Amino acid sequence: MTDSVRNEGPVVRLDQVVKEYHMGTIVVPAVAGVSLTLQAARFSVIVGPSGSGKTTLLNLIGCIDGATRGTVEVCGTDIATLNDDRLSDFRARHIGFIFQNFNLIPVLSAIENVEYPLLLAGIAKRERRARAMALLDAVGLADQARRRPNEMSGGQRQRVAIARALVAEPDLVLADEPTANLDSRTGAAIIELMHAMQARARTSFVFSTHDPAVMEHADSIFAIRDGLLVESREIGGRA
Amino acid sequence: MNTLSLAFRNIFRNARRSIMTMMAVGVGALAILMFGGFVSAIVLSFQTFIVQNTGHLHVYKRGYFDFGAGNPSAYGIADYAKVMQAIADDPVLKPMVAVATPSLTLFGIAGNFAANTSKTFFGTGLVPSDRERMRRWNAYGLQGLTWRESAMHDDDRDGGVIGLGLARMLSLCATLNVANCPTPPAAETSDKPVDQDIAALAAAEAPQDNGADPRPRIDLLAATAGGAPNVVNLRVARAENQGIKELDDAYVAMHLDLAQRLVFGRGERKVTALILQLHRSGDLKAAQARLETIFRDRGLDLEVRDFSQLTPMYPQVIGMFGTIFGFIAVIMGVIVLFTIANTMSMSVMERINEIGTLRALGQRRSGVRRQFLAEGFLLGLFGATLGVVAAILAAQAMNHSGLSWTPPGNSAPVPLTILLFQSRLLVPAAWICLTVLATLSTLFPANKAARMVVVDALRHV
Ligand SMILES: Nc1ncnc2c1ncn2[C@@H]1O[C@H](COP(=O)(O)OP(=O)(O)OP(=O)(O)O)[C@@H](O)[C@H]1O
Ligand SMILES: [Mg+2]
Repeated sequence: MTDSVRNEGPVVRLDQVVKEYHMGTIVVPAVAGVSLTLQAARFSVIVGPSGSGKTTLLNLIGCIDGATRGTVEVCGTDIATLNDDRLSDFRARHIGFIFQNFNLIPVLSAIENVEYPLLLAGIAKRERRARAMALLDAVGLADQARRRPNEMSGGQRQRVAIARALVAEPDLVLADEPTANLDSRTGAAIIELMHAMQARARTSFVFSTHDPAVMEHADSIFAIRDGLLVESREIGGRA
Repeated sequence: MNTLSLAFRNIFRNARRSIMTMMAVGVGALAILMFGGFVSAIVLSFQTFIVQNTGHLHVYKRGYFDFGAGNPSAYGIADYAKVMQAIADDPVLKPMVAVATPSLTLFGIAGNFAANTSKTFFGTGLVPSDRERMRRWNAYGLQGLTWRESAMHDDDRDGGVIGLGLARMLSLCATLNVANCPTPPAAETSDKPVDQDIAALAAAEAPQDNGADPRPRIDLLAATAGGAPNVVNLRVARAENQGIKELDDAYVAMHLDLAQRLVFGRGERKVTALILQLHRSGDLKAAQARLETIFRDRGLDLEVRDFSQLTPMYPQVIGMFGTIFGFIAVIMGVIVLFTIANTMSMSVMERINEIGTLRALGQRRSGVRRQFLAEGFLLGLFGATLGVVAAILAAQAMNHSGLSWTPPGNSAPVPLTILLFQSRLLVPAAWICLTVLATLSTLFPANKAARMVVVDALRHV
């Protein structure tokens, strides 16, 4: 099933999705009715000014937040139908995350951080090690496997995070401003790496950014402002 | 990398705080164990003292326990030799019983006519060698018990021991070498001549080879079974402290033969009780049941009482220390509960972002809860283990410190000991309970962590 989803049909479909936050009596529409479709195995970028709703939109796509109205469908599943445990399992199986602040587990070494999603998937220790090591190697950190996050640079940490996001072979990887905490050269290298990894794994990548330079790698670009999709552009014919 | 190894690493993230927390749990365990071990030692040394002196079971003629104390002749066991034989021959009782010995309790007046002093006494007729064996009972292997060589012997049928207070009142302090014995004010010394009849009776009883025996002689006066007054001479071998003043002022221990001569004269000789000492206190209920069966089968009108009925203070002491122990255990438990809950709450608050990350990666709520519970469990486990080790060391130190205390009703101090392993339950129960309590104390913070909203947790900085 995973493979069939990966190569044909949309991996994400949003239909008139609204997400409202309540601040006392004021209702803040962080996402104000967005409909979009993400094709499989694409490198997609969400751009928009600060406060436009990028993070909120990614949280909805990543199944860690629920829409106030509208339908969020990921890998053919309407996520509103899943309870919390099923949703957790769904994320473990289908979605990888890359965070702005790397969010590695500080008590785990690089390789253990990469192994963690496989632990959640219930994969045996030997296989976990091998797969995690292969991914660390792919992001160029094979020699740093035993290091703890606080012994690594920001760029190295984000590479570990990329390996962690990909190790369980998800259908979709979400990255919310993954380069915001990196200097521009390291950021560019990370984008380069993500692009390479995406091409290799044939996974769908979605990330948000302010950075116009990032967009040159994208297959599709979604521009949002004030919670609304203002532009949707397909660049290459990769699908 | 599993829940426990992760938990282990997490508790040492803030090593200082975790060590303080474990020490709090350890101190709780230490306090519970030290006091528990002390109570164990108190209860056992008290029980040992009672069993050495009064045995486990007393067999009386029915009614004696409730009504007979004032009337030994009416509530005496007449054919006690046969009863003792039946006990000795019984295949069930035989392996349980260490000592079975007859005893006769009596009352009367003790007089030292040489000094013109007299005093009511409370006397026991006993078999010295049996009592000597009873005094060596030490089923719990308590250390540092002291025995004083008995002053009474089976072949010394006129010998006996009296309480220190009685010796003082009978003006025998000097002759018996009693230390710290005040002399009475002059006015209190009676100069009224003792009743002539009794003096005559006493003189008639007095043995003729007087000069050979250096021990002071007192006269014991009591009513015989027939109601007539009777007097015997007692050679006082020693004055001994009885621990309780009322007893000390009246106590006379004498050879059973002498007591029977006093109470029954030339009539049929009885005893008021058969005292049974068992090898193990644990056999008490079985032995009592067996005795009752034997008496019923043989149609003997006898009843059996155990030592906690004879010494009501024993269950009271146990109850009192049990209450204090419970009190201390609850206080320590509450301290452990709050310490762990506080530490784990801080840990949860510091790791909100991490909790959000784990949940985003697909960790279930139950997995987050389990992770924090494991940390509370480990804090409790390490702390309790620390406490157990500390308690073992402290108990060792205490038991070799040479400190002593005097149990209630005891005349001599006994070593102050901490018996951690005497009750097989104490150490494992304290260890397990504190560990479980620590885990339960984590429930609240762990649930808080598990219930966090993922996006809020991730937004948290
Ligand atoms: N938990 C919340 N409670 C109330 N309002 C919120 C909450 N989260 C987001 N918002 C509001 O929703 C809107 C969209 O926020 P969001 O974080 O999605 O923007 P963003 O595009 O990711 O911005 P940035 O580029 O600064 O990260 C903002 O106006 C924000 O204030
Ligand atoms: Mg954002």
